[in-house]
Amino acid sequence: MAGDGEPISEAEALDQLRQTDDQSRQYYAAWWLGRMRSQHPEAVPLLLSALTQRQPRDPGAGVEHNAVARNAARALGKIADPRAVPELLAVLDDADDGLREAAARSLGELGATAAVPLLVRRLASGPAVAGACRSDSPRLQEPCEAMLEALGAIGEARPEVLEVIRPFTAHDRPLVRSAACRALLQLTGETVWADELLQLLQHPQLQVRRAALMDLGAVGWRPALEPIRRTFAENSLKLIALRGLVEHGRGSGSGSEADSDDEALLMAMDALL
Amino acid sequence: MTAGSGDSQGAADRIRAFERAASAEELVAATRRLTDCDDPLATVPQLVQVLGFNNPGAAVAAVDGLIAMGTAAVGPLLANLDAHNYGARAWAVRALAGIGDPRGLDVLEDALATDVGPSVRRAAARGLGALRLEPLAEQEREGVRLRCLEALEAGRGDGEWVVRYAVAVGFEGLALPLSPPHPHRQRAVAGLRHLQQPEQEETLVVRLRAGVALKRLDNR
Repeated sequence: MAGDGEPISEAEALDQLRQTDDQSRQYYAAWWLGRMRSQHPEAVPLLLSALTQRQPRDPGAGVEHNAVARNAARALGKIADPRAVPELLAVLDDADDGLREAAARSLGELGATAAVPLLVRRLASGPAVAGACRSDSPRLQEPCEAMLEALGAIGEARPEVLEVIRPFTAHDRPLVRSAACRALLQLTGETVWADELLQLLQHPQLQVRRAALMDLGAVGWRPALEPIRRTFAENSLKLIALRGLVEHGRGSGSGSEADSDDEALLMAMDALL
Repeated sequence: MTAGSGDSQGAADRIRAFERAASAEELVAATRRLTDCDDPLATVPQLVQVLGFNNPGAAVAAVDGLIAMGTAAVGPLLANLDAHNYGARAWAVRALAGIGDPRGLDVLEDALATDVGPSVRRAAARGLGALRLEPLAEQEREGVRLRCLEALEAGRGDGEWVVRYAVAVGFEGLALPLSPPHPHRQRAVAGLRHLQQPEQEETLVVRLRAGVALKRLDNR
């Protein structure tokens, strides 16, 4: 039997997720099924079952709690089967903020409009409460970045959604600001939010510049081409961002051929290889 | 900047300043200055040495400097390839890919097929389409190009989109100098057609890049 991290087959992954004695094997199997975007009929039911697994808290052990369930939540987003939506919605109210984070991201990937009221409710208290730092860890009360990104990805630009997101553009943490600007840019297309992201692309911390790169790529904001080229960050991340500009920034009229705007982006990518 | 070492364009002075660099930041600055002096060739051993220092900023500067040096840097790069220092080897692959000297062929082939780092494989794929074959005798040229084609064809199956993107760029670079009926050009075109098909290539940006390459090849 394969151990952690070794290549396994789909059948082995399903077996390892089905057994419950060895959680590290379940953890890896759940990740593997998501990574491979398994379309096996047993994959989603097994992942949904794994999503309900909870471990008693054991602060001394130093291991991640509910890790199998979190990987199951992530895998369900990657497999993108709408059957997973009701269970992922339930997980948005779980006590484990890491699990809420994974569920929010997956619901965003699934474009689940049913998640919008729940996400709005959890973020409604704003940066001072939902966005406040926890007393027991450097994490925030709510996984704000994931929830804001999910609202942007789902794409419901109703006034009450925008109102809840807007205060987070003034959050203390630049990564939260970046996520809020990304969501507002996706929902409104207003240049002011792109300008904020372009500012963050010049932030002194590499981690912030990386996040702004990923956010501009996720929106597909084409005017960001030059600032992306110039920012100090790894070429690998610039390539991912530029791929986003090519793929998400394409007008609805464009077919499968590159026009001259696309070509300018592709040549910029070539120069980063 | 240390007094007395900064103003001279002399390679010897800059090498001394480089050897005195005491912090990561100083090393980056000193490496940049090595690549901009009156006798760049004298600094090749130091630039090659930087690749093994685990200082990405300095390594980027050294790779740029070595690429600017061109074929003169190939001998020292090949002689100092260190199988036990992954980082140094990855930077050397990038330098060899940028220089485009056919003596780097073995290293680029091996890197595209086996390197664990997608950024190294993508550099190798780009390099395999950009080898400067003009100085070679015709028969040798054909043999080298065939090996490049075979390596790129295998690279189409890479699991990372960015490597397959670089393979498309590699096919284009390899085919452009050839006349349309040349069998190697036709083989590269077949490779690009494969990368353009949604049934065979899942990533849109890779398909678009392959399409641009095919358009350019048809127009010539």
